[in-house]
Amino acid sequence: MSTAATASKPMQPTSSLAMSRRFKAFALTFSISGTVVYCLVQYFNYPLFTYWPAVHRFVWGFGASSADDGPNMLWYGWSVTTILIASALGMIATVIPEQTVRKIPLWLVWLLPIFAIPYVIYSLMPWWTLAARQ
Amino acid sequence: MGGIISTYTFWTLWLFVHLILALGLLGAITHQAMAVALPVHKPAPGIVTRFRAVPAAGYATTVCVLYVLTFFVGSYIYTQYRIAIRIPLESAHYYKTGGFFDFKEHVATLGLVLLPAYWYFWKNAQKPDYDNARKGVTLVIAVMVWFLFIVGHVLNNTRGFAS
Repeated sequence: MSTAATASKPMQPTSSLAMSRRFKAFALTFSISGTVVYCLVQYFNYPLFTYWPAVHRFVWGFGASSADDGPNMLWYGWSVTTILIASALGMIATVIPEQTVRKIPLWLVWLLPIFAIPYVIYSLMPWWTLAARQ
Repeated sequence: MGGIISTYTFWTLWLFVHLILALGLLGAITHQAMAVALPVHKPAPGIVTRFRAVPAAGYATTVCVLYVLTFFVGSYIYTQYRIAIRIPLESAHYYKTGGFFDFKEHVATLGLVLLPAYWYFWKNAQKPDYDNARKGVTLVIAVMVWFLFIVGHVLNNTRGFAS
């Protein structure tokens, strides 16, 4: 084994969580679905809540900006919605048979965020359009 | 802030905390990314080689903790950004700057959801089945963290809290 491999690879998992089959199912499902869920939540605009920082106002679901309350913030709501849905999917995955979990392509974990970037850039088109009009 | 410090100082201090956490995260994930992308096969002199030859697996939990802390502190100061910085930026027609900040917020969440799988892959670094996935997710998170850092830095140069 190379020096680097020796340095970077412990011989045994260092915690019981890391050896847990159920945690593996949860972690893979959470990370893979989280990317997709975030894009969907943002596209369909399903924040769990909306926050108006100027007046410290908070409502469940979506709320628009207004002259009285100032700008709204949706990102908190999108992020929490994503975490809740991805967690629920991850919990469901923990009861799936191990043979099925083994079939989850591991490359989805890192490839999906790369695929999500063009969508994210597209979703910000109002900003780029305003910038182009200057 | 109770008359002890001004509002601007309060938010600037939190921004500073965000910066310190981000710097720690940047250093840890960059060490780890270099170790998996350009592994050192035999000891050699030189700062670059030593930078790549770190025990990368030991960084995983630290990276997760620093990412979450940086994320939460950034989320906290985001409220002040939305009122005190974004509105003046829009008024001054800094649309690309505003757009890149929104890009940053999306990337921050996309990075956050990767952490459980990232941590699992590194805590099972002895299993060759995970080698490619571990390398891929580590490099993606490293690129994300560098992007978040650079956008935040440029935005602060454009208009910081005390501007």
